[in-house]
Amino acid sequence: MGKFVDRPKYICAMGGAVATLNALPGVVPILHAAAGCGFNISNAINGGGGYVGSGYCGGQSLPSSNVFEREIVFGGEGRLKQQILSTMEIVEADIYFVITGCMVEMIGDDAESVVKSLDKGKRLFAADTGGFRGNSYKGYDIVLSKLFTEYVEANHKKDERLVNLWGVVPVQDVYWKGNLRVLKRLVEGLGYKVNTFFGEDETLENLKNSSKAVLNIVVSDTYGVDAAKTFKEVHGTDYITVDFPIGDHGTTRFIEKVGTALGVSGELINELIEKERRRYYGYLERVVDAYSDFDLQRYAVVVGDVNYTQGITRFLADDLGWLPELVVINDLIKEEQKEIVARKFTDYESGIKPELVFDTDASGVLKHINRHWEENRGSRYYNSMTPAFVIGSSIEKETAQKINAQHLSVMYPVSNRVVLDSICRI
Amino acid sequence: MANKKIKQIAIYGKGGIGKSTTTSNISAALAKQGFKVMQFGCDPKSDSTNTLRGGKYIPTVLDTLREKTSVNANDVIHEGFGGVYCVEAGGPAPGVGCAGRGIITAVQLFKQQRVFEELDLDFVIYDVLGDVVCGGFAVPIREGIAEHVFTVSSADFMAIYAANNLFRGIHKYSNAGGALLGGVIANSINAPYAREIIDDFVKQTKTQVVEYVPRSVTVTQSELQGKTTIEAAPNSE
Repeated sequence: MGKFVDRPKYICAMGGAVATLNALPGVVPILHAAAGCGFNISNAINGGGGYVGSGYCGGQSLPSSNVFEREIVFGGEGRLKQQILSTMEIVEADIYFVITGCMVEMIGDDAESVVKSLDKGKRLFAADTGGFRGNSYKGYDIVLSKLFTEYVEANHKKDERLVNLWGVVPVQDVYWKGNLRVLKRLVEGLGYKVNTFFGEDETLENLKNSSKAVLNIVVSDTYGVDAAKTFKEVHGTDYITVDFPIGDHGTTRFIEKVGTALGVSGELINELIEKERRRYYGYLERVVDAYSDFDLQRYAVVVGDVNYTQGITRFLADDLGWLPELVVINDLIKEEQKEIVARKFTDYESGIKPELVFDTDASGVLKHINRHWEENRGSRYYNSMTPAFVIGSSIEKETAQKINAQHLSVMYPVSNRVVLDSICRI
Repeated sequence: MANKKIKQIAIYGKGGIGKSTTTSNISAALAKQGFKVMQFGCDPKSDSTNTLRGGKYIPTVLDTLREKTSVNANDVIHEGFGGVYCVEAGGPAPGVGCAGRGIITAVQLFKQQRVFEELDLDFVIYDVLGDVVCGGFAVPIREGIAEHVFTVSSADFMAIYAANNLFRGIHKYSNAGGALLGGVIANSINAPYAREIIDDFVKQTKTQVVEYVPRSVTVTQSELQGKTTIEAAPNSE
């Protein structure tokens, strides 16, 4: 029997595609799937993404072909065509993007050929996003790859001061919009203009003209990398991957890596790092009194995705002086990637060495905590792992209660707060 | 009547091997003996019952379902030779949709509407498309439908290969309450070696040959008239 995932922290490829498309300005997804797909996906996005809401043509208003048995038996291409045309008539958008669910892919419906037959040029696209293809991150890569291949204009003269930045996955990173704003500001500090596609003030023009960029910066080793490879194949633009930064140490490494890749002078890089540090510690120093007076140091357990766990753990270990004991990564990652990921948790300046566990079951966290830190079996001089903090998603709330730790949800699913324009805050 | 057990059998085999011909003749023969029989064609080509209906196609379950939101099963039952109730499941156009799901839909429609009981049938014979390419085509041999399944095979390698493949599917379902393998109907067996090949195959697979049917021009002539051999040449061997 195959391995199942208990309490997954993502949705299917189609769900990732919906979240990605909804996050792009002026883009409306058209689902070619059963009615339940759109309903469940929008609930999972809203409920887990810090309340994303519907916006224009999102949430429960997603256009969907809602196939039934008749379409499954006879093929659903006719129904899809009808749905595309009615959506284009009723809903305003610059781009309509058809994405497919499991059922219609299994019966061989060809959404691509339906879209081609309608001949709507660069206003209508389609991609196969059947849930069995992977999880949300896969959907993100599929949609981006498609847009890079078919929407982004080719053969532009390069703009030597322009870069693209992605890898922060909308909704899977519930703070994606705020995070993109800050990442953009950092790279702008190096003297470059930045397209983030999904961030504030972005328009489809940024995406359309993105092949002018001299470099693609993927803020992840795992998410968005396939799209970067596609971009390179189609437009010849190189890419780098860089860790998602949280705090001074993470941000310093980010600026150094991006700056070096762009050939920015060491002087400018250092200037920017110093400027960011002054700004950052200007805020952080306010907690120093409380930190020392109230003994604010905590043990920490960090649970979640690859991007965030490495960023948060570095922040805790090297910026805040906390004691991250255990890190559990719930992502589905390939064996060969695990080694690359593991290295990110071994080079802390504080010398802290947290235990790293890969477990796709979010339900297994307590088991790992109990194994990592021996339980008190009536010992008089038991050294407990308290006070402690569990930093993860809403799923870890009960786990935190069980070990008498405080809990903070910053990774998907975040269902206990509304996230508006925030960046990731501890 | 209420407790009468309807005998449901399914006939499978490689495409073109003579499933429909054999099935139609069995249906016709049973009808002649006074049994109430339904022949259920499970092939998108929907030509299983042609020889029971003077070579004519009948509207299929799925054709009707395509046009209407619901189908009364009685509307898609057409009487053929000897009062055999002919049904064709039908299917989507080649290359689109899911024919397997179509078979499931058609068979379930009949089951839900309890048509077999209402018609007081003695036999229901499912004539199913060659290779069992997906779960849909296995529906007649799954739990609660046919009790026995027969495969039609000649002594050709590919026909035996298809039959062997089918045995694997039957084995899977028979362990889970599905149809049991009745045996092989050996078709087009004229040369002595052909019989030996089939005999060896059934020995290896621990099953049996229920009948050897020689290739006969009478069968071809009957089919050209749009009739079963039972109807066209009732006195032939």
